[in-house]
Amino acid sequence: MFASILAAGLAAGAIYALVGITYNTMYSTSRVMSFTAGQLGMLGGVFGSYFILKLGLPIIVGFLATLVCCAILGYITELVAVRPVLKSLEQHLYVLSTLALALMIQQVTAIEWGTEPRPFPKLVGWGEGVWDEKFWIPVVACALTIIGLEFLYRRTLVGRAFVAVAEDNFAAQALGLPERNLRVASYMLAAVVGGIAGFSGGELLLAFFANGALLNFYGFVPVALGGLGNNRGAVIGGLILGLFQQAANFLVGGIFASVAVFTLFIVVLLAAPQGLFGSAVAR
Amino acid sequence: MSISRRDFVASVGAMGLASSFPRIALAQTENIKIGWLVAMTGPSSAPAAGFDRGVHFAANAINAAGGVGGRKIEIITRDTQGDPTKAVNATQELISQARVHAIWGPTNSGESLAVTPIMAKAKMPNIHPCVIDTLIDTKKYPNAFRITPSNTQWDDAVRHYCLNILKLKKIAVIGDTTGYGVSAVNASVAAFKKEGAEVTYQANIDSTQSDLTPDMLRAKNSGAEVIVVWSVSTGMYSRMFNTRAKMNWDVSFVGHPSVSSGEIAPLLDKPDNWAKVYAVGYKSCSYDAAGNLPPATQKFVADLLKAKVKLDDTLLWWVACGADAIDLIAKAVGASGSTKPEGIVAYWNSIKGYSGHFGTYNYSLDQHNGYSTSEIVMSEARSAKNGTFALAPGY
Amino acid sequence: MSTQTTANSAEVATSAQVSILAKQQSVRTQVFWLLAATVLAVGLPFVSNDYWVSIGTRAAIYWVLISGLNLVVGFAGQLAIGYVALLTIGAYTTSVLTAGKISDPISVWLALPVASVMGAIFGVIVGLPALRLRTFYFAMTTLGFATIVTQIALAWQSVTGGGIGIPGPEMPAPFDDNLGFYYLCLGLAAVCTWLTANIARSRFGSGLIAVRDAEVAAEACGISKSHLLIPVFILAGALAAFSGGLFAGLQTYVTPDAFTFELSLLFFISILIGGRGSIYGPMIGTIILVILPEIAAPLAAWSTFLYAFLLLVIVLAMPGGIAVLLDFNNRRPLAKHRTVAPETGMLAALNPHSISNNNSLSLKDIVLTFGSVRAIDGVTLDVKPGKIHGLIGPNGSGKTTTLNVISGYYSPNQGTMTFGQATLPPGLPHLRASRGIARTFQTPRIVGEISVLENVMIGGATKGKASFLEALLAMPKEKVERKALKDRALALLAVVGLGSLAHIRTDRLQHSELRFIEIARALMIAPDFLMLDEPAAGLSGDEINKLGALIQAISACGTGVLLVEHHVDLIFAICDDVTVLNLGKILAAGTPDEIRAHKEVVNAYLGG
Repeated sequence: MFASILAAGLAAGAIYALVGITYNTMYSTSRVMSFTAGQLGMLGGVFGSYFILKLGLPIIVGFLATLVCCAILGYITELVAVRPVLKSLEQHLYVLSTLALALMIQQVTAIEWGTEPRPFPKLVGWGEGVWDEKFWIPVVACALTIIGLEFLYRRTLVGRAFVAVAEDNFAAQALGLPERNLRVASYMLAAVVGGIAGFSGGELLLAFFANGALLNFYGFVPVALGGLGNNRGAVIGGLILGLFQQAANFLVGGIFASVAVFTLFIVVLLAAPQGLFGSAVAR
Repeated sequence: MSISRRDFVASVGAMGLASSFPRIALAQTENIKIGWLVAMTGPSSAPAAGFDRGVHFAANAINAAGGVGGRKIEIITRDTQGDPTKAVNATQELISQARVHAIWGPTNSGESLAVTPIMAKAKMPNIHPCVIDTLIDTKKYPNAFRITPSNTQWDDAVRHYCLNILKLKKIAVIGDTTGYGVSAVNASVAAFKKEGAEVTYQANIDSTQSDLTPDMLRAKNSGAEVIVVWSVSTGMYSRMFNTRAKMNWDVSFVGHPSVSSGEIAPLLDKPDNWAKVYAVGYKSCSYDAAGNLPPATQKFVADLLKAKVKLDDTLLWWVACGADAIDLIAKAVGASGSTKPEGIVAYWNSIKGYSGHFGTYNYSLDQHNGYSTSEIVMSEARSAKNGTFALAPGY
Repeated sequence: MSTQTTANSAEVATSAQVSILAKQQSVRTQVFWLLAATVLAVGLPFVSNDYWVSIGTRAAIYWVLISGLNLVVGFAGQLAIGYVALLTIGAYTTSVLTAGKISDPISVWLALPVASVMGAIFGVIVGLPALRLRTFYFAMTTLGFATIVTQIALAWQSVTGGGIGIPGPEMPAPFDDNLGFYYLCLGLAAVCTWLTANIARSRFGSGLIAVRDAEVAAEACGISKSHLLIPVFILAGALAAFSGGLFAGLQTYVTPDAFTFELSLLFFISILIGGRGSIYGPMIGTIILVILPEIAAPLAAWSTFLYAFLLLVIVLAMPGGIAVLLDFNNRRPLAKHRTVAPETGMLAALNPHSISNNNSLSLKDIVLTFGSVRAIDGVTLDVKPGKIHGLIGPNGSGKTTTLNVISGYYSPNQGTMTFGQATLPPGLPHLRASRGIARTFQTPRIVGEISVLENVMIGGATKGKASFLEALLAMPKEKVERKALKDRALALLAVVGLGSLAHIRTDRLQHSELRFIEIARALMIAPDFLMLDEPAAGLSGDEINKLGALIQAISACGTGVLLVEHHVDLIFAICDDVTVLNLGKILAAGTPDEIRAHKEVVNAYLGG
């Protein structure tokens, strides 16, 4: 039982952490919390299943196609739901525009893909029991993504430009950094991260349209716990959440587990609105 | 040219008189409108698709043969999406706007609970396939008739199979979190305990939960020898069967007809994962050891295939049930000579030994659960051939 | 010169007349539409069938909830997306009580009020996070609540019946048939419209909007966010739960699967389509969203998509919603070349101070650090009543920060502030207004969506004594108060020269006019002490002169004025004392002549 909790908890936690990073990446260059983060996670699974199982493409091709589709959606998110609203002074509008877009994505998926969870292909074929690939693939994917992002932010010019825009918008503009292009690029990057989350979590969560709302919430909790904009905090928060949730699931069962998670979330949020590890963003 | 007021009034009067004649004639040739309340989209939509095929097959067959007394059957479908608020709106619309003569459905118990009182108030003749026991009450809802067995009848068949044929004593009972799932599990547990069996584990699981390992582990650890299941969710069943295989647990599943639905096959990791699963089935839709269906059913299946109705991804009894419902409404209109609600209900109350495709029905003023319990059997879930099944071992 | 003034006055007079005419016509149009809508609603059963009557009943029931939620989302700007939770609570409470699950069955007329009380309690619980959390976080917590409530309904089988649910309440005759129930719900919807419109029109409504769009200014005017939001949460929660009881009656049976996320969306989107800060807009939005799925029946599966699409279109194309279309007041174009022409004649009567008023504002050795930066480094300052004290210095010298410390937005690390005999408590900005301290802001902080008059009236928030309940029921006390506030605001607008623009939407005005609006707003409390933060920025030379005359008139009434400015000509023209700041320290202090000659000031700031 303990081994199952650990395996499932780390796997779920890794997926939630990746969606949390999606939120953070979108936030960092636009100051916008986007409701589409969870939907991108869902689409990672749905597109993966569609390309590999339905269309029969090889796994690598299916994976890349999934990421490309997610990137396109990230671009659309920025274009339709974020850019027009940033110009206006009304900050609350972005909550509404991204919510509307997220719902549209979810409903189209429900109608076109169906309302039942559909199977996700086996990717590697290595592992049994608690070492089943549906448990270790998300963890590996999360680790690789973190390493990749660190490399991007520290070593490449584009990555450092992202960081600059995130830390001080006006200074970055003054330096001549192309703010809008960077924002678009970061939304596409965030969408790719979301796609990775959904694709790597496909065997655990299946290709299911309702995963969007689920990941929206469970992917947000790591952000709330870890502090807005803080990717490391998101990972720790995600793993904590995953372990707590799976422990509750195994010990008391589905309904009470989700009540426990939600209650804990609200309590933590009220006690520490800046997150347990503090926000990376100045007031 | 000017028209005097007298001329005008006279001509209007004449028109009124003239228009009253065609109206009487119109009533005789007006379509027989049957409202079909169905959750075509949404979670519990697997049975809906099956019923729908039967509905349209029967309507088309009747209309091709000239209709009922020259009147055509018109099916007015309303998709309720499994949402009780939509069901209430749609029912009201069928009653007051579309003015249907009878309603078949809804297909979801949660919706049925909400709309049955509304139909009763409007005295709308209603046949439905929902199994929750409280839906049938000849005093409160004299116009509502159930065409499928009630859940009690299903439960009796399942319990009989577990205790007397499989001869097992330790039972786990699992259902989903819908209204049907909750009430079915409660009733099942109570009935098992009454007969002296031990219920070692009882749970309601959200049918969309993707990982069922925790729940299956708990069931196994409780010492259960057989798992009784009550849900319509084919997705949840496929995941349960896959989990059982991964756990290497040699336990049988016995329960709701949906465990045998064709929708499960593509969701299984291995076809063998479907072994040792026994579904509530019907004599009319089961084939014997030689692989033969009852003769009447053979003819029905042949007709369906000729009409290009798809059977391999659904259950035959859903199709048969849908067809029977339309036939019962049509017969009622034919026998009573009109679409008046009192006539339809009176005919249904008088039905004795009616042989439908799905089963034999008996109704009376005090009995609106018409399906004969003796026609319920257990089927081998994975033995589907065009939606029909082999009998489970032990019969 | 004199002809120009006469021409100006003529223009002003015509503008004023046009404005009043526009207001009268808009009232007449509103009354017409209201009557038409009432006739339509009452007559609906006679022109249609039971089906449309039941749809109408549903719309009325939803409006009971949405009218309350409108105050939370539309007026207070709190994005409570998961409000179906309160509908669920109300529906179950009513049904459980009438079915006799936990006690003897009680009458539905008793069960509904009990459900409302439950709703009020949970409305506060659901809403409280709004006081601590930012927008998106709060939206998420409401979603969490909605899920928790549904899960509990599912799990608590002994009371709620779990997945199988319980029968809804049966209405007693004559409300037990479609027609009777329809008229009951219609009547209740009308009552809720009246109640929430009362709040919207009262100082609570404008206070909510002020907190939503100009929170900093609202605090300066004495509006406390929590004192305002909590009664609103109570009201919205009570209405939502009441609506839930009626909903259970309409459905005749309550199961958890009836309380979908789609319902939450319907409530939420109706308000946004209707437009924030409006009552009738969301009402029309509700009707549209209830009717839409019925008309587009073949598109049943797409209804949620349509709601979301509508929301997106509104947000991108028409963020003001339907309310903008209903805003007849603001259709007429404004005169192009407007100048502000203050008339200070009435000011003394509106801003009286006794001669014996000795309340000086004194700062002593104030130090404020941000991390390692000393923003203010030992500032001592004295502003006497009836005198104008100028505060100048280069950018970043700490001028606005000093004002913010006095206002209470920042707490100083060291030093004391006193006003008269009493110490000013640091860090409590909403207490300043009741002490008689008012201010304007470096960038005008006004609410764009409301009229100039309503913006100015916000300044008088502390003068309101009527309670929330009195406002809710439109008691005479509240009406009398409101009228007095309105008259005062109109008079002050005339004083600052903006009388003709009183009923115009504030976001249509020029920047210079906004500055004078802020001054009028500050004068609403007849402040003993007024702080002005760069009021001349963006004004033309002529306007600056008029501003100077206005400030002098204000101080002549007995108000002490602290004036932060970059326009040193203005400072030297009207100030009695001047303090110069540089890098947080006082560089020099004295009379204008002394400062003008001061060597270091000239070097650091004034220039040769």
